[in-house]
Formats: sequence, structure tokens, C-alpha cells
Amino acid sequence: MTGRRMPASARGARRRRGWGRAAQYAALLCYLAFLAFPLLWLVSTAFKSPRELGSVDPSWLPHHPTLDNFRKAFAEQPLLHAALNSVAVAGAAALVSVAIAVPAAYATVRFRTAVGRAGTVWVLVSQAFPLVLIIIPLFMVLKVMHLIDSRPGLGLVYVVWTLPFALWMLQGYVRAVPVSLEEAAAIDGCGRYRTLRSVVVPLLLPGLVATLMFSFVTAWNEFFFALVLLKSPEKQTMSVILTHFLGAEGAADLGPLAAASVLATLPSLLFFALLQRHLVQGMLSGAVKG
Amino acid sequence: MSRSGPATHRDAWFLLLPALIPVLVLSVGPLLYGAALAFTDAQSGVRHSTTFTGLDNFRALRLDSLFWQSFRIGLVWAVCVTVLQLLLSLGLALLLNRNLRFRWLARTLALVPWAMPEVVIGIMWRLVYNPDAGVLNNALRDLRLTDGTTDWLSSMSLALPAVIVVGVWAGMPQTTVVLLAGLQNVPAELHEAAGLDGAGPWRGFTTVTWPALRPVALSVMALNFIWNFNSFGLVYVLTGGGPGGKTQLPMLFAYAEAFRYGQFGYAAAMGLAMVAVVAVLLAVFLRNRLTREDG
Amino acid sequence: MRRRTVLAGVLGSTTVAVSGCGSPSRSGPPSLDFLSLAWQEESVKVNKALVEQWNAQQSQIKVRYVQGSWDDVHDQLLTSFEGGAASDIIHDEGNDLTDFGFGGYLADLTTLIPASLRRRIPERTWDTARLGGAVYGVPFLQEPRVLIANRRLLEEAGVTVTDSADAWTWTEFEDVCRRLSHRAGGAARRYGTAWPMKSPVSVTLNLALTNGGRVLYKDPGGGPSQVRFGNADSAFAELVRRQVVQDGTAPAGALALGGGDVLPGFFAGRYAILPLDFSYRQQIQQQAPEGFDWVVLPLPVGESAPDGGRAQGVSPQTLSVSAACKHRREAMAFIDFMTSTPHMVRLAQGDWMPPTDAVALSDPALSTAKLGWSTGVALAGHLAASPALGVRGYAEWSDKIATPALQQFYSGAIGLDSLRRTLVRDGNRVLARYRS
Repeated sequence: MTGRRMPASARGARRRRGWGRAAQYAALLCYLAFLAFPLLWLVSTAFKSPRELGSVDPSWLPHHPTLDNFRKAFAEQPLLHAALNSVAVAGAAALVSVAIAVPAAYATVRFRTAVGRAGTVWVLVSQAFPLVLIIIPLFMVLKVMHLIDSRPGLGLVYVVWTLPFALWMLQGYVRAVPVSLEEAAAIDGCGRYRTLRSVVVPLLLPGLVATLMFSFVTAWNEFFFALVLLKSPEKQTMSVILTHFLGAEGAADLGPLAAASVLATLPSLLFFALLQRHLVQGMLSGAVKG
Repeated sequence: MSRSGPATHRDAWFLLLPALIPVLVLSVGPLLYGAALAFTDAQSGVRHSTTFTGLDNFRALRLDSLFWQSFRIGLVWAVCVTVLQLLLSLGLALLLNRNLRFRWLARTLALVPWAMPEVVIGIMWRLVYNPDAGVLNNALRDLRLTDGTTDWLSSMSLALPAVIVVGVWAGMPQTTVVLLAGLQNVPAELHEAAGLDGAGPWRGFTTVTWPALRPVALSVMALNFIWNFNSFGLVYVLTGGGPGGKTQLPMLFAYAEAFRYGQFGYAAAMGLAMVAVVAVLLAVFLRNRLTREDG
Repeated sequence: MRRRTVLAGVLGSTTVAVSGCGSPSRSGPPSLDFLSLAWQEESVKVNKALVEQWNAQQSQIKVRYVQGSWDDVHDQLLTSFEGGAASDIIHDEGNDLTDFGFGGYLADLTTLIPASLRRRIPERTWDTARLGGAVYGVPFLQEPRVLIANRRLLEEAGVTVTDSADAWTWTEFEDVCRRLSHRAGGAARRYGTAWPMKSPVSVTLNLALTNGGRVLYKDPGGGPSQVRFGNADSAFAELVRRQVVQDGTAPAGALALGGGDVLPGFFAGRYAILPLDFSYRQQIQQQAPEGFDWVVLPLPVGESAPDGGRAQGVSPQTLSVSAACKHRREAMAFIDFMTSTPHMVRLAQGDWMPPTDAVALSDPALSTAKLGWSTGVALAGHLAASPALGVRGYAEWSDKIATPALQQFYSGAIGLDSLRRTLVRDGNRVLARYRS
């Protein structure tokens, strides 16, 4: 990295930079069009009448916007209740998951124990083993614990289910915390737990937000566990309610389904918009470093 | 700090315990139980009593040409999706890392696929690919690129690429966010130095950015690979494995074996075979991280 | 009164044991869970209203409406059966009952069905729910396949529209499709018909019956079922392939679609006639553009086949009782209530499908010519059990062998000999693993 200057005129460089800017905006626009257009489509579908949905040349904007789909969706299924259930279960699960992942990540990074190594292997294996084979034994365990058809039971499953990724991420953040800071605290007479609470956790805060977000969204979107573990109508979560607009062989009541889906998608997006700053700052401090 | 003694070991246990107990009960237990089924003839139904059959399931699996055929499709799917995801996400992350206007909006919109529930994603993309009224065919016709009658999901050659696009789309936010974070980790001074150095953007990327980003990228690729290899929900909604078995992923196969035919034992054997293959691939891929953990 | 207090006491002390069935409410009588798969606005409304009406009339056993989904009911049921926490009364369809019935998860209703209910539903229809001598579900709705046609296109092509008395033969149908098709380029091209075959196997089996074929043959001795693919079995499949590959009267692109996916093309005049399940009329009525004139025609008939070629296979919607249910008699009473003639009429209207009850079929609300009801109702007498019903190993044969092979055959990738070889040789190997 020795300073070798490029012999080119500053004006040429600036013009090139201007073009580069434009190209960057254009590229970004392409990306966003690719990533976000299904959402636009979903929103537009939610406001279309059945007649427009049957059109062979569907338009991006509804010709005669209607709230009928929302009315139907709310009349047929307990959407608000389901949304509250989802918030409660996913929120609690994310909080607990992160709360127990922090000490575990700390322990596996700072102490080299057999348990720590086994933990890392388990993270990978648990992600690689087919979910369908775990569901029935899991169901039986939960039944013994009286946690079938119970929101706390589902939350507990989500805790365990989001834990591997939370642990994997937090290990990266913990590694980025300088050991010297902890040693200083130890010399000041702080015990192990106080060091963790008052020195490490504040440094991890942005990372915690990022991890929390991952866990929340994963739990919010989860479908299969919610389907088989909850039976009572008043306990069901959003992702399960959405399938109630589906018939056999891929048939769907498209309008109300789209309306309900918009309601299921927006909270996560709002959450992202609010947290995106933290998300990236959080990653700044270490992320999932290999 | 990390010198081990009886006291610190006790500390480690205390810190691990809150995570360990639920994991042992609700993850390790069911997982071992599920794995053990692979050595039995477990089936659905109360009239069937399960017996230990040793390696019978694996012997049958070895000769199951349909499964291995789907295994190859699964590898193609997982590798394509993972690699494309990484490349596209890397580009997006580089853009989002620039100081552009409306960056907050772009960052939020880039996360859209992540915010949509899987079942909705499947249905939306079925609409996109509809040969008559799909957005894609209509757009291609309006741009005069095709005559607008392409059969995306029922064509033997296009179905797999078409579902791969959806797979890439659905997994991009997670990868982008992780890479974006990794990019912010690249010290700005290095970039400046390279810029002063007169290195073009490409050389700047290969000499400065990529080396700093590599560990993060490999790490997220490994997890993506596992997830992609294991995912089947999207493809199930889009094609159900068709046409003619062209998109029959191995997980779809194991899922059907367990839940549609009720052959729990055989499905568990498939699961173990998949874990084994993934484990070997990952051991090669992640040897650095694992050995450091061991050190 | 005394029985109830004893019951409540037992429930209070053994909550776990009972949680498999009839979740005990904190006070008062136990309640039964009814897993309903209704999904369209009207039918959800009717189902909920009937449950409310039952609860208002009954103080003994309350029923709780639990919403399920066709999309995932099989997975949900299998898991809850295995874990011992399934709903008590289960709405499903005939095909799905096979494995659950043989697995011992469903109660045999033979002795529970009240005589009046048994008489309401014809014997032929009971056959669709009978497995090895046991009845695992009460069939209450069944849906024939019909032709839904664009009247304007038919008239322009000079095709006279038939009524249910004389359906076209399959040969006539092919001719009509040829006359209706024209080969303009690109999107302007028109097809006489389109075959939405998201699940190609069930369509192929059910319509093989119109030519007197079955494809799947059950062994009366209880051994594994057999696959045969003789001329009668393959005639329908050959017709579809001819239309797609040879005549170009049906698009290859529709083969991967569901019935709802081809509707936009139908409304735009791209397809003139659609062979669809009867209930799609609801979606057509909702979505068709202003002034779109459509007509329901009977399915074409096979020539020189039994029942005048009118027979077609169906898998009826059913109501079953979980084997773990502790109040089977009460559960059966609820099913009897749901399937009483007037209620069946309402359920049929809600789902846009013919009921199984012979008296309900002649109800003025259903025998009207409006929206094609009478055409479907007239077909109801010719519906037979789908060849897939009661065949153990059907799901595996269908997924692994028949679906890919038929998809390849219909799109022209393989020929008839190759299809026959795969279906029969590989298929019988799969079925041989199962005994009924």
C-alpha cells in the first residue's frame, strides 16, 4: 500500500465518478425492483375485486380499489387476535432466546470446554437434520410436559429453534469484545457475572438487537410447529391463519388471502425500518466472523 | 481470563445451563429419537409395532435410485441457490454500504422477502409465473423479448431454473444483511489507501474488501447451504416436485416418505444420509472455524 | 344429571388422559372439537352457523369449531394422531381416510350410524367411504367434473350446446375442440380446451372410469392392489396427450396449473372449454368479466363403456370420528345433525357441490338450472368411488411413479409403451409392499 498517485486529470475522475454514481443508483433500483415487486403486487392484489383478479392482463394499480377483501378476511378469520398471538409468542421467544444465548455464547467463546465444542457441532447438526423427523418426538415430549395447545409451549419450541442461529451470531460478537476490558474489570474486583452484565452486555447491545430481529422474524414466519402444536382457534398464529384461505390443490381465495398477507407482512417491515440502523451498526462490532 | 480451573469450569456450566436444558429436552432428545428411528421399521398407525431392523433401511436406501436422483437435483439446487445468493447479495451489500440517498428505505425494501411468510411467497410466485396472466410473461411480451407464452413451471428444462430464482430471492435478505455487516468491518483506511493507490474498483475489491469479508462470507455460505439443502416448502408450493420429477428435492422426498406414506424409519434413514453428506461437505468448508474452536 | 357430575369428576382428575378428546372446559359439560376444512366465505359461514345452532339446542355436549386447511390437513392430522391429541370430529376427504383408517386412527362408524342417516345416503355412495368392511367417514359432499364453456365462442364456431340428456362423446369433444382452436401466433392463439393437471394422477384415474377403465385394481382377497394399463385404462390419458401434443387443441403450459390458474385465460377467450371440478363455478361467477356468458355442460362420455360412459370417479368429502374420542355416540349425533337433509343442502350451496343425500339433491335450491346446478346434480347419480380409494400405497405410487410418468407422457416426453411399463412394472413393485 505505498502511495502511488494515478496520473489522471481530476476532472476526468470526477466525471467518471458521476457516471459511477448513476450506475450505482441504476443497479440499486434493479435490485429493489427484483426484491420488492412481489410486495407491491401483494398490496395491489389486496385491493382488487375478484373480477380484476381474473383478468388476463392484470394491472399494477387496481382500477376500482376496494376494501372488500379486508372486510372478508376479517369476517372469516380472527386476524387481529392471531396477529396478537404471533407478536406475543414470537416476541417472548426472541427475548428468551437471546437472553439465554448471551451467557451461552460467552461461555463457549471464553471457556474452551467440551460442552462448548459440542454446542458448535450441535448448531450445525440441528440445522441439517430434517425437521419432519423431529416433529413427532417433539410433540410427545411436549405432551408429557402438558405444553400441547399452549402458547408458552410453542414459544419454548421457538426458543430452542432460533437458538442455534442466535448462538452462532452472538459468538461472533462476543469474540469482538476485547478480553483486556474484562481483565480490567476483574482487577477492579468485579466478579465473573458482574463483568458479563456490566461490561460485556453493553458492548454487545447492537449485536443483541440484530439477533433479536433474526429470532423474532424467524418465529413470526414459522408455520409447521404452529400448525401442529396449537389447536384452539383462539391460540392460533398468523402464519397458520393464512392457510385457512387455501383450498385443495393450490386453489386460493386470493383477495382475502392477499389482504391478510399484507397484514402479516407489514409488522415485520415496520420493525425492519425501525431497527435497520441498529442492525448494521450491530454487525459492525463483529458479526458472524468465521 | 480463560485459564481453566475448577471455579471457572463451574462458571461455564452456570452460563451454559439456561441454554443447555431446553436444548437437551426439546432438540437433542427428539433429534436422537428421530435418528434412532432409522434403525427400525417404524411406521404410522397404532396397529403396527416397531422392531429393530439394524441397517436394513440403509441397505434399501443404497439401492433407491429415485432417492439418489433427487439427491443430485438437491445438490444442484443447493449449490446454485447458495452461490447465486452470495454473488447477488454481495453486489447489493456493496451498494447498500455506499453513502447513497434513501439508503434507509433501500435497506428496508431489500428485506421484503424476509418479511413475507413462506406460503404467501409460494402463491405470489405462482402468480408471477402463470403462463396466461403472469406478470413475467406480460412484461416479457410488452418488452417484445418473447411472445409471452413461456411455460415456466411446467417445462422440463425451465422448471428447475425457475424455482432456483425463487429460492435465491427468498434467501437474499439474510445473506445481504450479514455481508453488509461484514463490509462495515473493513477498515475505511484500507479503502482510502487503495483509492490513493490508484487501484480500480475491482482491484480494490480483490485486495482489500474480499480478504476482510471472506470469513463472514464463508460462514454465511455454509449456513445457507444447509438451509437450502433442507428447504422444500417453496418448491412444494410451486411445483410439488414436478414436472416429471425435475424439481424433486431430497427433503421433499423424505417429507413425503414420513408424512404421506407414514414410513418413519425409512425417512429417518434418508435424513441421516443427508446429514452425513452435508456434514462431510461442511467439514471441508468450515475446517478453519471448527479447528479454531478446538484450539 | 348424575352421569354428568361423575363425568365432570373424572375429567377433573385425569385432565391428561382426556386431553386426547373432548377438551374439558373449566365448568359444565365436556366439548368436542370439530376440525372443519371449509375455506370459502359462504361455506365457513354455514359451518359456523350450524355449530352455533347445535350448541344452542344441546346442553349435553358442546362442539367447538376448529378451523383447518385442505393445504395441510394431512400433516396436521398425522402428527396429532401420533401424539394422541387429534380433534374429535374430522372433516376430510375419502382418499385421505385410507391410511388413517388402516392405521387405526379413525373410529369404525358402522354400528354408530343411525338407520335414518344410513338410508339418506345411497349405498353406492357409502361404498366410497368403506374400507375393508368398515366405514371411517360419512360422505356428505361430492363433486363431479363438468365442462365449463364460453358460450359465445361455441356459437361462433357453430357448436350447438347440449343439455345433460345427451353429453358429447369423447370423440365429439375432440372434434369440437379442433373446431374451436385456431393457430394465431403468440398470445392470440386459441385452444379448444385446457387440462389443468396440478394433480395428474387423480384426474387420470377418475376419468378413466368414463371409458370403463380403472388403472388401479383392488385385490378382493386383501392382497396388494394391482396396476393395469389396458386400452380402457389408457384411453383417457391418450386423449389428453393427443390434444396437447398432436392436435394442439390444448396447451402444454396448462398441465402444471391448478383449476383456478387457467381461469384468466378462459375469461380472455384463450380457452373455449374447461374440464373443471363442479365447484369452480363459484370462482367463475365471482371473477368473470361483465357480460361473460358461460355454460355448464356434462362431462363427455366414453363409448361402449358401462353406465353409458357417464361414470366418473370421485373422492367425497367426509366427516369422521377420531378413534381416541371418548364420546363417539355424541360425535356421531353431531355428524347426523350436520348431514340432515336441510343442513346438507346448505353445506352443498356453501361449497357449490352436490350433496350425497338423494332427497337433498332434489331440493329446489339445487335442482335449478341457474349457474349450472342441474347439470351437476344430474351427474351425481353416476358418481362412483375413485379407483384410488382404499388402495394402500396409493400416495407413494402416485408421487414416485405415476405423477412424473404422466407428466412426461402428457407433455410428449415419453410414449405410451414407456408410460405403461413405468406405471405397471415399477408401480406394482411399490404397491406390493402394502397389504390391505
